[in-house]
Amino acid sequence: MFRRRTTLFFVFCILALTLVPLTVSFVGAQDDNVDVYGRPLPEDAAPYEMQTWQNLCNSARTETTLASAVSVYQRICDQNAFDKFGDSLVQLDENLNLTPAAAESWESSEDGLTWTFHLRAGQMWNDGTPLTANDYVATYRYMAEPDHAYDFVWMWNGIIAGWDEAVAGEISTDEIGVAAPDDLTFTVTTAVPFPPLPGTMYFWPPLQAAALEEFGPDYMLDPETSVSSGPFQLVEFVPGDHILLEANPDYTGYRQPYLRQISGIYGDQLNASFLAFQNGDIDAVNYSLLSPADLDIIEADPIMSENYLPNFSDFRTDYLLFDTFNPPFDNVDVRLAFAKALDREAIVANVIGSNLALPAYSFLMPGFPAADTEGELHDIQGYDCDAAKELLAGAGYADGEGFPAVELALRGETESIANRFIASAASISECLNVEITVNNMEYNAYMDALRARPTTIQFGAVSYGMDFLDPANMLGVWVSTGRHSWRNAEFDDLVNEANSLVGDPEARLQMYRDAERILVEDVGGVFLNHRIQGDLIQPYVAGECFRPDAQGVSAIHWGNDWCWGTYYITEEVLNHDTYRTE
Amino acid sequence: MLRPYDRKPYGIQLLMTGYILQRLVSLFFVLLIVSAIVFVLMNLVPGGPFTLGERGYSEVELANLNRKYGLDVPVPQRYVNFLIGAVQLDFGNSFSVAGRPPVTELIARVWPTTLHLGLYTIIVSFGLGIPMGVVAAYYRNSWIDNFVTFTATLGLTVPNFIIATWLLLVFGFQNGWGAESKWIIPPLFGQGPALLSWDYFLPVLTYALAPLGLVARYTRASVSDALSADYVRTARSKGLSERFIMVRHVMRNALIPMVTVLLPQVPNLLTGSLFIEVVYGVPGLGKFFITSIFNRDYPMIMGLVLLIAAFWGLTYLVTDILYTLIDPRVRVFGRRNA
Repeated sequence: MFRRRTTLFFVFCILALTLVPLTVSFVGAQDDNVDVYGRPLPEDAAPYEMQTWQNLCNSARTETTLASAVSVYQRICDQNAFDKFGDSLVQLDENLNLTPAAAESWESSEDGLTWTFHLRAGQMWNDGTPLTANDYVATYRYMAEPDHAYDFVWMWNGIIAGWDEAVAGEISTDEIGVAAPDDLTFTVTTAVPFPPLPGTMYFWPPLQAAALEEFGPDYMLDPETSVSSGPFQLVEFVPGDHILLEANPDYTGYRQPYLRQISGIYGDQLNASFLAFQNGDIDAVNYSLLSPADLDIIEADPIMSENYLPNFSDFRTDYLLFDTFNPPFDNVDVRLAFAKALDREAIVANVIGSNLALPAYSFLMPGFPAADTEGELHDIQGYDCDAAKELLAGAGYADGEGFPAVELALRGETESIANRFIASAASISECLNVEITVNNMEYNAYMDALRARPTTIQFGAVSYGMDFLDPANMLGVWVSTGRHSWRNAEFDDLVNEANSLVGDPEARLQMYRDAERILVEDVGGVFLNHRIQGDLIQPYVAGECFRPDAQGVSAIHWGNDWCWGTYYITEEVLNHDTYRTE
Repeated sequence: MLRPYDRKPYGIQLLMTGYILQRLVSLFFVLLIVSAIVFVLMNLVPGGPFTLGERGYSEVELANLNRKYGLDVPVPQRYVNFLIGAVQLDFGNSFSVAGRPPVTELIARVWPTTLHLGLYTIIVSFGLGIPMGVVAAYYRNSWIDNFVTFTATLGLTVPNFIIATWLLLVFGFQNGWGAESKWIIPPLFGQGPALLSWDYFLPVLTYALAPLGLVARYTRASVSDALSADYVRTARSKGLSERFIMVRHVMRNALIPMVTVLLPQVPNLLTGSLFIEVVYGVPGLGKFFITSIFNRDYPMIMGLVLLIAAFWGLTYLVTDILYTLIDPRVRVFGRRNA
């Protein structure tokens, strides 16, 4: 008995001496793979040294800032690099619902004129100073500054109280309707009730008031002066050469990143992105950088096709526009003839690809608030060549006789986008027997011509995607003060009234639907397709970001800033040749 | 026949100096005219350094933007302001580069990389092209001649974007420019771009093919002409060695047409290529010649135009001076020989 117990005792000791160190080393190994905040990475994550994300930036464009509040059109590299040094007040979830970001809650006053945003407590700049509402005040005031001449200044025209006057230099920017009653409270006072105001707060991570005052808006371009209250901080930046961000260890916000580093290298972004992706040198490619040939390759590859994630992104619509103030397009029958001569279904099926677009019969894409989901507007501009010919004949151009040759101007489009418009011209030309040439103009020259009054774009093609998720934004581009040479007073009245209608969301949406019907019936534009956008991701990029939305779609959805707190690189990367292992 | 006057070195030096000064003065006027033409054209092109954006701007907002970029001043006044700055080598600040650095500072920062690239391209294209052309001419109508001609024609006719795409497919995308792991010869004094790195391999290969073809073909033509001259036949009949004939007679006479055609390649190569720099991610000067136009970076456009005009003017001056050194019978200044 004694010998048996002794034997058992020694066996127990041997097991303990063997298993305990193994357990400790296993646990220790788990603890070793932690991020900069000391959190263990997900179980399938690659070592922390490999938690990097690399982009290919465009070396041919104007790039002057890393902050949308300084410039939207001149941001450095792409959305995977800029705006990482602070958190906007709000962001979107995968179902495009507005969710808290730097602000944990917000509400409006009863009259709808004052919005109050409550900042999360404890947010800090990485120089040790607290992020306060005053930083947001300074940022919005800077955007209204006349000398700044902000390129997105239209965003709050007629919305934030005093905005227009401050931009014109008639009042000081101190007098615009933004304030910080205390460090954690940011208020916005509007000139008129504007229900979608919280959504317009999405784009603008704050600038630090102190740095802005001391160093000016370029403070974030130099690691010596750059400060961050966001998930990343600037380490290196050589314009046109490379940019390097690292996880901000002092970040106390809502999206602490697993990623250690984001980098950008410069090259031929437009033509070489897919090649760089295949070479393992970048981690994602947006659909806009993929040619039709690239998409064919992706479709044929089982791994890449599984990792190409389609999404609606900014609900972008491609359409044709007219100079409706001058002949021949001052005649609505001519415009409607063009609309009904456009076989958009055939173009989507055969030119664009059914996985890349939906035929469009109206401006708002299905899924967008107030969009025509029932198809009630389909027949208005729907393809009907015979009806198109009748309309053109009724306008005095039977069988195209006497109709002037027109040029379809494109806005510096890439091959894949230009092809759909060329096909549109061919469809109309063939049906109506009219001569249409196509001219792919340089972007700035096109916009200059479009905005000129009178416009020099008689017949053009363009696209538009949302800036915030509300019909006020999308339909607002069609009001008579906008970029189009089309005017409809009833449309303007409906949109302007709906923009400031509070207390009855359904009535508001119905007004936008009525406005869109006018747009379609009066043929302010001929709507071709709604884009299905997408991102091609490396198979070793993972994260909660890719959880399915309410429609079961897994994608990088527009406005989902929280994703940067979830991305990580899996162990799968060890089976691939990437820049990490070079 | 040389006149006694022409033998006096002092006289020749004086004439040469006077000639150079005269050419520099005329270069100044050329730059003035070029700057005026480009300035006018630049302001006639629609659009501006700011993107008009999807929603456009009101009159007030446009006025703010124009003021920000100095475009609220009338064009003639802006040109005068530009000239005043230009004589002090101040061309203003770039509109399109982060930090809006002064144009001169930006050029000084990015040009060394392009100069490196251009220099290696010149070494490869001239270093290979001239011997290829000489050999082809000496063995003309042989398989050597045919091979060299074929290679040269290929280099000249195949577009470099085809070559670049093929090279990228074969060698893979070039990950980032200037990484230390790719250095072969580090930077001088520890700063700036590496003197030589693997980064240069593909760009130089792509960039050098066309000038290589040009150099080889012109060298072949020049040397062939010289080889069929009477003085070569005379030299051979006198029993001089082939090497002596090639070096002392043929090459020297072949150099004049070669210098005329080939030396102007130098400013082209030393100021870079948009395509090469964008495709291979070279952070150099070459791409700015095109991108500054598309981005309406007016200060950069003017700075680059004057740079390239001055460079070309000086190249032609150097060409003319080289003529006189190669062939003393040639006088580009003073009285002509009878």
